[in-house]
Amino acid sequence: MSAQNEHPNKYDVIVVGGGHNGLVAAGYLAKAGRSVLVLEKRDLVGGAAVTEEFYPGFKFSSLADGAGHLLSEVVTDLNLSQHGFQILPTDPLILSLLPDGNHLAIWHDVNRTIQEITKFSSVDAHAYPKFIEWMYKISRIVAEMNRMTPPDLPEVGLRDLKGLFSFISPVRGLGWKHITQVVRILPMSIADLLNEWFQSDIVKGAIAASAVNNISSGPQESNGTAYNFLYNWSGSNTGLFRSSGQVKGGMGALTQALAKSAISLGADILTNTEVIRINIQDGKATGVTLANGEQILAKTVISAADMRTTFLKLVDPYYLEPKFVRNVNYLKYHGTMARVHFALGRLPIFWGLNGGSEQLIKGHVQIAPTVTYIQQAYDPVKYGAYSKQPYLDIQIPTLTDSSIAPEGKHIMSVTVKYLPYKLSQGNWDELRDTIAKFVINILSDYAPDFGQCVQNYNVITPLDLEKVYNLPEGNPVHGEMTLNQFMWMRPIPGYAQYRAPIDGLYLCSAATHPGGGVTGINGRNASRQILEDLK
Amino acid sequence: MNSLTKNYDAIIIGGGHNGLTAAAYLAKAGRRVLVLEQRHLVGGAAVTEEIYPGFKYTVYSYVVSLLPPRIIQELQLPKHGLHVMPLEGAFTPMEDGNYIASYSDEDDTLAEIRRHSKRDADIFPVFNIMMYDLARAVKPILTMIPPDPANPGLEGLRTLRDLGGHLKSLGKEKFHWLTKIMTMSAYDFLREWFETDVLIATQAQIGVIGTFLGPKSPGTAYVLLHYYMGELDGASSTWGSQRGGTGGVSEAIAGAARSFGAEILCNAPVKQVIIKNGQAIGIALENGDEIVGKTIVSGCDPKVTFRTLVDEKELPSDLVDAIDKFKYRGSSGKVNLALDGLPTFPAMKDKALIRGMQEICPSVDYLERAYDDAKYGGFSKRPFMGCIIPSTVDPTMAPPGKHVMSIFVQYASYDMPAHGDRDQQREAFGNAVIDSLVEFAPNIKNLILHKQVITPWDIEQTVGITEGNISHGELMLDQLFFMRPIPGWAKYRTPVRNYYQCGSGTHPGGGITGTPGRMAAAEILKDGN
Repeated sequence: MSAQNEHPNKYDVIVVGGGHNGLVAAGYLAKAGRSVLVLEKRDLVGGAAVTEEFYPGFKFSSLADGAGHLLSEVVTDLNLSQHGFQILPTDPLILSLLPDGNHLAIWHDVNRTIQEITKFSSVDAHAYPKFIEWMYKISRIVAEMNRMTPPDLPEVGLRDLKGLFSFISPVRGLGWKHITQVVRILPMSIADLLNEWFQSDIVKGAIAASAVNNISSGPQESNGTAYNFLYNWSGSNTGLFRSSGQVKGGMGALTQALAKSAISLGADILTNTEVIRINIQDGKATGVTLANGEQILAKTVISAADMRTTFLKLVDPYYLEPKFVRNVNYLKYHGTMARVHFALGRLPIFWGLNGGSEQLIKGHVQIAPTVTYIQQAYDPVKYGAYSKQPYLDIQIPTLTDSSIAPEGKHIMSVTVKYLPYKLSQGNWDELRDTIAKFVINILSDYAPDFGQCVQNYNVITPLDLEKVYNLPEGNPVHGEMTLNQFMWMRPIPGYAQYRAPIDGLYLCSAATHPGGGVTGINGRNASRQILEDLK
Repeated sequence: MNSLTKNYDAIIIGGGHNGLTAAAYLAKAGRRVLVLEQRHLVGGAAVTEEIYPGFKYTVYSYVVSLLPPRIIQELQLPKHGLHVMPLEGAFTPMEDGNYIASYSDEDDTLAEIRRHSKRDADIFPVFNIMMYDLARAVKPILTMIPPDPANPGLEGLRTLRDLGGHLKSLGKEKFHWLTKIMTMSAYDFLREWFETDVLIATQAQIGVIGTFLGPKSPGTAYVLLHYYMGELDGASSTWGSQRGGTGGVSEAIAGAARSFGAEILCNAPVKQVIIKNGQAIGIALENGDEIVGKTIVSGCDPKVTFRTLVDEKELPSDLVDAIDKFKYRGSSGKVNLALDGLPTFPAMKDKALIRGMQEICPSVDYLERAYDDAKYGGFSKRPFMGCIIPSTVDPTMAPPGKHVMSIFVQYASYDMPAHGDRDQQREAFGNAVIDSLVEFAPNIKNLILHKQVITPWDIEQTVGITEGNISHGELMLDQLFFMRPIPGWAKYRTPVRNYYQCGSGTHPGGGITGTPGRMAAAEILKDGN
């Protein structure tokens, strides 16, 4: 991203880190008339939401794989469509492949999904629309919670009460009895929640898979995965538990649009510019020091970087209380995913899918047939190992957007779960090919000619997530999405209101409330908080 | 059977310790009370039985720690035979021959921890203070009548206000620890404090007791706190064993109830609650007898209370639905041994520890693997075990020179034996327990005179607790406080007028606490019944 060659040495606001939340915050602050500078260490903005050409002509969405959770206000407030952002619709949302060649598709259309589910269980087919209707309502509550600055419990101020009221009012129609049910559901495990509704393991597996995204434990034993499930649902552009669509040009097109929008609103953006220190004077943030020694002044500094980078690297520990540092140290990251990207000479043929297979595989293709399968994919992670039967989430974006690969060729991107960041044996750099090979092996069970289609592959290990994309312990959302790291406890109890314990220093990364995913909510909430504080 | 012709103010179904506690309080308040117990003895899961001649087994439960002093005092339980002897300490052998121990004397415990890590020894007292602070913070909540947020009423609003005020009074730091402990896994929580794996394991095992979760499963840190509350000011300053076996606790409560005039009838299984026009008016026994009572109280678990004892048509369908979703998942079994002599743990340097608890949880991974082994159905090949040898401190338990060993075992799933012949499965489970114990106490196999193996299924069959869950339902966040057993019905009442619940399936939950029984009795009296 080119910016002005001569940037002024003084800004109202400096944003450290050009991930999507940093760019959203920059956009909103620039729009409010502040002078804003975004500093990005890599040669491209976007953080985990980038398009990279690992092989000539093949443009991969390196990590984040969809923008279906982006807050619609962000799109309109920042005019992203004008800057080239477009989501190409996909349907079905999910195709769950089964080892016996059968499959279950979840479509936008509830009735069509009911027909699919009938193949496995008529009881579940009957339950599905009720489940969708009921959970959708609950997800609206979570959606409202996402938009608020969490109250600083147990101290509840007048401002918090206002926020609380705004979150309760849209759901009062549900009735208090149902709101009680919400309290019951949030701390449940996704397996327990689905057991209350469904009988078929296959139906439960298809639905449960997305609930363990960004969580390092299994669906069966992790209380709180129901909350994560609702979190995913709350922002989804489908009104269902999983979002859909392909960003035209790959995920980088979104962050490029955010950058263009910010620039058009007056912000400056510098890439290849590493911040090595957040400058503090008399307990107040005064700007940043760059790797080249240059200092830039600002009244307000926002860190869009993760908590470890911000507080263990960029801020002088002298200014932090030991208790705060302790809490930063104990943030739970536990990354458990890798991405494997394939450049394909042609589309593989999935043997279980008869005619219309291209249509069926346009959304997320899951290899996570049952809840037990997903749980077992996780079990070895506890001991620093990984299962040879992982949970795979596959996308073939070229079926929707042919512009990202040479003509006739395809891209397949696979999220592999669970792979532990901390291995008890071996190291990730040596295991790159091993991972690619076992993914190819598994996929060959479903598409026997898959191996022949692969021209090239690129593996992003949990260690790469940390080293290349600055995601501690390979966790893409800057901290597990567990119940103890939600709401007023995210990122750290007592600091959930986007303010760091240093005057003038703010936080806006996925480490903050409401958490991970390409939502833009963190950046938007943080900028709102900053503007309120500056009043 | 003359007494049965009487009109009772209250009939208690189930003579477990909570039913007996409710009976005692109601009788103390002048009510005519009858307790009906299906078995030949009272106590429910807290009984002592001489299964093998001369040897007394505490058949299902094993330690006493959670009984609040208030109940002990109000019911004058020591007068009726309550005599809890604190355990000497706890001993945990490790796989490498080393061990860790804890003692009632904190200095001794610290010296022991220091052997493993100076850092952990330094921080242990701070951790203890924090845990007791948290236990103190939760304690008032345990004795609050849970409000129904959907329909709070004036009283509920007052409770909610008190609750808010209470939480605020904790201050930020304690409140934050509280919210963390409510949501984290025992392991993650402890890992923030300690570096010694075996020390974490000895604490984390407390967090999994009675749940079908591993130490790394979120939700288990709360269970740890639940048990800390017992240590706060329970019957003893630490875990202890009742003289004559845990049945003695039930006997003491029964004695108190009788002294206040309550009648207790054993071998009297109840078939159904008799309901007329939405109001409970009596019960029908299995033998066809009917007994009239103004108030009927179930000390059974929620499924029995609502689904077995009451006709479905008497209940709203959403209640039936919610009760059917209530999670039990019994996870623990019991092995009781009659021994020809004392077992020897080679790792045990301080021989006095044989009079304490021997915990087989040598590492966090051991615990977690025990869980992984069993969680898809079946039992742990190398289970987590809590052993006590009560005969070392209580000569009434076994003939001279002989001993009884009471082994609490986790994990065993309820539906384990369904996969095959139940007797074979029980045998295999028992063998896994002994084989695992032999790793740490090699001579034990040769000392066994008699062995009793109990699976969750056996607990259900004999004691009547659904799926054999010792807490009458998992102590998980979604089944606590105003959601225990289900939202809307956490105040010991039921939709059937004059029909109440008082078992561990109600707030505040399991353990030998007597608290549900005591609180239910107070609510019944408040209703003027």
